[in-house]
Amino acid sequence: MNSVASKRLFQEYKHLTTDPPDGITAGPVNEDDLFVWEAMIQGPEGTPYEGGVFPAELKFPKDYPLMPPTMKFLGDIWHPNVYPNGVVCISILHPPGDDPNHYEQASERWSPIQSVEKILISVMSMIAEPNDESPANVDAARMWRERRQEFEKRVRADVRRSLGL
Amino acid sequence: MRQSLFAGRWRIRLPSSLDGAALRVTKTPPVTRKRKLDTASLSATSQPPPEPKRKASKTTHKDSIAQVEAALPATPQTLTSDKGMDSDDDFASVASSMELGEELSSSVDFGAEDSDVELEDYQDDDSAFETHAKQKPKRKAFEVEYKVYSPQDIQDQQDKQVAEVAALLEQPTEQTAILLRFGRWNKERLIEQYMDNQEEVLDKAGLGQNMSSNPPRIEAIDGFMCDICCEDTPGLQSYAMNCGHRFCVDCYRQYLAQKVREEGEAARIKCPGDGCNKIIDVKSLDLLVTSDLTDRYHELLMRTYVDDKESLKWCPAPNCVYAVECGVKKRELAKIVPTVQCECKHSFCFGCTQADHQPCPCSLVKRWMKKCEDDSETANWISANTKECPKCHSTIEKNGGCNHMTCRKCRNEFCWMCMGMWSEHGTSWYNCNRFEEKSGSEARTEQAKSRQSLERYLHYYNRFANHEQSAKLDKDIFHKTEKKMTLLQSSSGMSWIEVQFLEAASQALQQCRQTLKWTYAFAYYLARNSQTEMFEDNQKDLEMAVENLSEMFEKSTDQLAGLKVDMLDKTSYCMRRRVILLDDTAKKLKEDVWEFNVELA
Repeated sequence: MNSVASKRLFQEYKHLTTDPPDGITAGPVNEDDLFVWEAMIQGPEGTPYEGGVFPAELKFPKDYPLMPPTMKFLGDIWHPNVYPNGVVCISILHPPGDDPNHYEQASERWSPIQSVEKILISVMSMIAEPNDESPANVDAARMWRERRQEFEKRVRADVRRSLGL
Repeated sequence: MRQSLFAGRWRIRLPSSLDGAALRVTKTPPVTRKRKLDTASLSATSQPPPEPKRKASKTTHKDSIAQVEAALPATPQTLTSDKGMDSDDDFASVASSMELGEELSSSVDFGAEDSDVELEDYQDDDSAFETHAKQKPKRKAFEVEYKVYSPQDIQDQQDKQVAEVAALLEQPTEQTAILLRFGRWNKERLIEQYMDNQEEVLDKAGLGQNMSSNPPRIEAIDGFMCDICCEDTPGLQSYAMNCGHRFCVDCYRQYLAQKVREEGEAARIKCPGDGCNKIIDVKSLDLLVTSDLTDRYHELLMRTYVDDKESLKWCPAPNCVYAVECGVKKRELAKIVPTVQCECKHSFCFGCTQADHQPCPCSLVKRWMKKCEDDSETANWISANTKECPKCHSTIEKNGGCNHMTCRKCRNEFCWMCMGMWSEHGTSWYNCNRFEEKSGSEARTEQAKSRQSLERYLHYYNRFANHEQSAKLDKDIFHKTEKKMTLLQSSSGMSWIEVQFLEAASQALQQCRQTLKWTYAFAYYLARNSQTEMFEDNQKDLEMAVENLSEMFEKSTDQLAGLKVDMLDKTSYCMRRRVILLDDTAKKLKEDVWEFNVELA
């Protein structure tokens, strides 16, 4: 099992370095351990997150690709679908089978034919378009829904601070 | 001679009970009957001379047969004959049946020598009822037509339809099955669409054009690498459907097992390829997975068949395999409460698959359950612990000792004790010991008014909850009933069939409490008018009957034998009251007579 996961992760890494999608870089933190990756995601253009770079950590289970990895932002990111501790809440990262939240379709959740690349692309579009129906950060979701201007202001300030400006 | 005399006597009584005295008549018999029974049980237990014993066993034996017949099938049938009449006649039939019951018991008490003859008379009367009922085999207003199917029946039904359509469309059966599932088993529409645009339908259903030729199979292809596990060993077995998305057999199996076992999908499992809409057919599945999974797969396929058909529903009871077919449509649910009973004896509503909730329509049930979930405890607490500001009606909880309250919202100052304005309490605080200060009493009336709706809800909720609770307790007793029945058999020398009345009584109690419970939810949403009063009368009668029977049920085993006749009597009376209430409510629901204080969605 372990070899399947390593093999597949190595393939994905190879693919991501040869043909990386726009605004995303990702790879193992240490070449000896393929199960912990670091990814950098650029804030999507035309959103308050524009200009920011958000580092995140991906941890893969031993039975990858049957089970999805977990993803956690390492810096502060004020977003309805990111828990205050940085853990990302997105359907593609939820294991297949029983749906604990009872609203996601099986096709939206993790399956072995998904990939790290698809996860990162999904997260990027999630940053651009939050889903306030199932917020991980309730305060952020309320602010996003009710006081959009304040929300955007706060996000921009965070981005600027993270860049050391 | 005696027979005709007796029958005549009974018939003569009937019209006399039609007048206003009927109700009063019904009130007195229980007392006398009870007294008679007390003496009867006394004579049976305290001093057991051979004569009464013989009498008791003889009468009860004969009687149990007569009564089982009278209590069960004859009850609804008697009422069927009343169907066309108005409620006055309903009363009459009840009153007459009460008298019938009274005479039954009196025959047991006093008709020692000739009880056999008299009981035979009853049997004759019953058969007279039956023949009378046969002429009018009409359904009650609260009953619906339905049919229960076993899994085999459902499979046969499916196979028949697939075969029919397959012949018409000239497609293999697997493909036809997929097509039918895609069209949600609406044959006519599917055939029409198929004839209009064959390619489009096939495409949408996830079937390629060239399905019949070149069937897919498991094979090893040179230079193949599985996209899931990245395995590329030469000779790796792989599989792809006509869409060409190829994966190694292990990953394919893993995927299908996940879908079938964990996600419970069957009819609409798609190709694992990204964005591919092709549906996996039975043949591919059989080729790939192990037999334990195929069983589950076929079970799930059957499930989707039932789920897809509006007129079919699974029985919601745990582990029940039957499905029920009923023609009642969703839009009719405001007019009818379609209760059906499965082969497994579970009664449920076909509309919402909740446990039987007659006479309350589905939409009210939903509303009520939601309200209870949200409100009942909160309302109880508010009612017990808070008062309202006399000026702005904000709900206020007192959290300090001082009675000088200042409303946070409107800054109104008032006294917690008398609800009057604080200014009237002057400088010395304990002025409110004087009764009936004007502003205080006004505030209190005001308060009472605003609390009324809360109290109204709690009134209905408490009764609803009480019946639910009581039904549970009655059920506990029911579980003990079997023990009681064996005890009774050994202690009184009754046979198995003779103690069945206990089970009948217990089941009647369950059923009536279930009905009563929902009458309170129903009544909560009823607007007040004369119809409501009639409903409440019916409700009251049923409730009284149920309470009487319930009380009897708690008696000790040695008393139960003596109470048999009375219990049988009360059981059948309960059931009759229930039928009357349900029938009346259902009829008025159908005819749109009820006025509700909410919209029936």
